[in-house]
Amino acid sequence: MSLQRLNEVRRSFLADLEAAGSDAEALEAVRVRYAGRRSGLLQELTAALRELPNGEKRDYGRALNELKKLVDSQLREAKRRTAAASAAGSRPMVDVTLPGRRPPRGAEHPVHLVRRRIETIFLRMGYSVEDGPEIEDDWHNFEALNLPPDHPARDDQDTFYLPGGSLLRTHTSPVQARVMEEYEPPIRIVVPGRVYRRDSDLRHSPMFHQLEGLVVDEGITFGHLKATLETFLKELFHGVEVRFRPSYFPFTEPSAEVDITCIFCGGKGCGVCSRSGWIEILGSGMVDPRVFEKLGVDAERYTGFAFGLGLDRVAMLLFGIPDLRLMFSGDQRVARQFA
Amino acid sequence: MRFDAEWIRELLEGAPGRDELASKLTACGFNVEVREPDGDSEIWDVDVTTNRPDAMNHRGLAREAAVACGARLKPLEPGLEESGEAASDLVSVEIEAPELCGRYVARVVRGVRMAESPQWLAQRLERCGIRPINAIVDATNYVLMELGQPLHAFDLARVAGRRIVVRRAGQGETLTTLDGEKRALDPSHLVIADETHALALAGIMGGADSEIGGDTADVLIESAYFDPLTIRRGARTLGMHTEASHRFERGADPEMAPVAADVAAALIARLAGGTVCSGRVDVNPRPFRSAALELDTEKLGAFAGLEISVDESVRILEGLGFAPRVENGLVHVHVPSWRVDIERVQDLYEEIIRHVGYDAVPARLPVLPAVPGQRRGHWPLVDRARDAAVSVGLAEVVTYSFISPEQDEAASALPLVTAGPVTLDNPLARTQAIMRRSLLPGLAAAARLNLNQGETDLALFEEGRVFVLADGKPAEGERLGILLSGRTGPWDRREAVSFGDLKGLVEAIVERTGFPALTWKRDAAGALDEAEGAVLLGPGGRPAGYAGLLGTQVASKWELRQPVYVAELDLDRALAEVPLPHFHDLPRFPAVIADMTVEHPASLAYADLEAAVGRLASPLVERVELVVRYSGKGIEPGSVRTTLRVVYRHRERSLTQDEVNAEQEALRGRLASELNVRFA
Ligand SMILES: [Zn+2]
Repeated sequence: MSLQRLNEVRRSFLADLEAAGSDAEALEAVRVRYAGRRSGLLQELTAALRELPNGEKRDYGRALNELKKLVDSQLREAKRRTAAASAAGSRPMVDVTLPGRRPPRGAEHPVHLVRRRIETIFLRMGYSVEDGPEIEDDWHNFEALNLPPDHPARDDQDTFYLPGGSLLRTHTSPVQARVMEEYEPPIRIVVPGRVYRRDSDLRHSPMFHQLEGLVVDEGITFGHLKATLETFLKELFHGVEVRFRPSYFPFTEPSAEVDITCIFCGGKGCGVCSRSGWIEILGSGMVDPRVFEKLGVDAERYTGFAFGLGLDRVAMLLFGIPDLRLMFSGDQRVARQFA
Repeated sequence: MRFDAEWIRELLEGAPGRDELASKLTACGFNVEVREPDGDSEIWDVDVTTNRPDAMNHRGLAREAAVACGARLKPLEPGLEESGEAASDLVSVEIEAPELCGRYVARVVRGVRMAESPQWLAQRLERCGIRPINAIVDATNYVLMELGQPLHAFDLARVAGRRIVVRRAGQGETLTTLDGEKRALDPSHLVIADETHALALAGIMGGADSEIGGDTADVLIESAYFDPLTIRRGARTLGMHTEASHRFERGADPEMAPVAADVAAALIARLAGGTVCSGRVDVNPRPFRSAALELDTEKLGAFAGLEISVDESVRILEGLGFAPRVENGLVHVHVPSWRVDIERVQDLYEEIIRHVGYDAVPARLPVLPAVPGQRRGHWPLVDRARDAAVSVGLAEVVTYSFISPEQDEAASALPLVTAGPVTLDNPLARTQAIMRRSLLPGLAAAARLNLNQGETDLALFEEGRVFVLADGKPAEGERLGILLSGRTGPWDRREAVSFGDLKGLVEAIVERTGFPALTWKRDAAGALDEAEGAVLLGPGGRPAGYAGLLGTQVASKWELRQPVYVAELDLDRALAEVPLPHFHDLPRFPAVIADMTVEHPASLAYADLEAAVGRLASPLVERVELVVRYSGKGIEPGSVRTTLRVVYRHRERSLTQDEVNAEQEALRGRLASELNVRFA
């Protein structure tokens, strides 16, 4: 009978508490009603203890204590909540529009960004990326590539010489020669790197970057060269048209200059493309059999193609950098734009 | 090279309009780069590649145009009228050096009167960029532009003994050339001489002595074939480059020599009066022999990736002067005298493919073995270092590989600079005369540029090669250079860059790049600040890098107005490959942490303290962390207070606080007995 009463009080307390929510006045009323010193229900229930027969006192006492604890803790929790809710109105607010504390952000130089983009395209096509010395000998830089001493085409590649007859490579092609000396076909490589020519003006820097490619296997055709370079250029410069013009390089035959439709005017003609609508982007050709013979590759069995482009120029075109001198100035505001 | 567009069209029967002509020439390999209207014609700048001297004239280019446009090259008609004496009675020719001069043709025109060239001829020369001088000189230039044969006109009266001798120059022989320069010659030079002295520098420039002048009455026309290499070397050693040498060194047409002499003689007679003496003197010690080649169009098709018919091949080769003849399905040709670039059958492939048109060849990707591409050589390493540098917030710069002797000298006391520099034999400028031995000069110059631009907070890196002399031979190595200056940190916690900032970056980069264990030692080499400079030593004490504040003396060489921190890593000391990470089981029992504050002289390096703790601590110590480092108020001057957090953990059970307290107490005791430390 009395334990039942305890349960009734417990239920009504929880119901009243919920009804009061976080309203401070209503909560105070609940407190007075249940835990008030004078006429609270808990006082009343405590008084009732004395009236009970001795055999029931122990259980009732224990249940009453639990009820008291519950009321106490619940009221306290409700009060904390209420206080927190009322305090919220005066708390300082974060200005979420302030700049964040960014971790520092580095940036790669545009010429290396472009290099790695191009490497990735070729790696996806199964090409390997090769490396070679910047200090070269005459054989690998010139002679093996069908540029004997006194060849007029050497005029186009003004060379820096070092003591002892070595030189700074004028193109990345000597790595082709080294690869052909070292590996048996099939060969499928690209070679990026720094190169040097004794030439300096608005459009030429004595140091610049090239990327060279070479494919050698049985049955490689001029059509393969065209398709490979078209695929590559359309991947790098989305949506351009590609055209091939006959040209001359001592180490390839036939040779082709490759143009893309001007990425600034879409081929309509502008200042950048000298109104032609085309931009010269790379040189290429079928490997001259004389080169194969010099490097010990069976020219009867194998054919191949090679190509080369200026990475600095491609970076300038791709990212719209107007002046070659910006590339090697060391101005951190150049690279920072590519973070 | 400049051409007169209408001149080309005039040489063709059935010539197309200029637009079509230009685009067809571009398509077959002669890029018409610039077209500039000029009167009733256009000046064209055509890119004639260096292997095609035969097309460096209007007739040669017209031959290509004829094949490209389906037109016909008009036959050459000198229109020569000879009379009177025989040339051979007036002049004799002797070739003393037939290996240098394969053919020498002379013609004589008598009784000329000096005149100006007519307007039409002067205009054509001007369109080609040649200044008209007088009718005789202009006639020789006109023939050069039309036929590609360089000619020279001598005043016959000034040829002593009327005898032409083609010989090597004597040692120390001198010749004053037409440009007024007195040239000192040697036997590697070929001269045209008379009985007494050298008259002209063969194939390069005439001499002042025998120049055509106002009183010239009889003209000797020289039309010869000279050895390309001799002309090239001769012109080069004398620092000369002329229209004539440009062609001779690339290869003239030996069969054109007599024809051009006829055309020139006829033209001079027409422009300057006079009569052409009958016959030519033609000394031809090494007659031209045409090489024969056989073309298999099936092989050609396989090479091109396009089937090309025998008929089409014959049409093209016929037009280009190869006189093709088909026998048993093979095309037999003779290489014409003007095609110095054709030696073998592959050379014919090019002729045919470029005239069939590159556009006609279908693009087809090759089928190659599906092996994955590799990155070889230095590439994986240098890009790992580059990625590491970018990941810690540095911006990449690329600077020149050559520097000035002063910059090289300024960087010579840096720890990694040990071997001698590589100097260029022929630098462009003194400021670019030495190959860099360190990346520092480039970075310091970049810092100065940035500071001058008002960029004062700098975090730069460069990855690239350095060059040194190793055993007297140039050698190269890969480096990563870092430069920090100004302030660092987020906007509300911006602080001046410190050694700690630099070291943190270097440590992170070293870790991500993959180096063997490196120890940091104070550097005493002198280029870095004495208080804030360190050298990084790899296994065996080999220097693998340095890091620190750039010393004021070095910094002043680049006029750096604010403190600059620099570091450089020798990437050749790095691991070729970063080992794969290996997973360690996560601990199953909790760690117990015990802090320990040590007071010690500042001279005790933290690394030594840490190493001592590591050596003396119980095996239950999992790791030691640095928590606080303090000196100043409340601490004896010259001393530092270091708080270390020692983390204890047992692999198989929980540790009690009592156990840890006992271990920590024992550690304190051992440290106190080994090092000069006290515990706060
Ligand atoms: Zn454009």
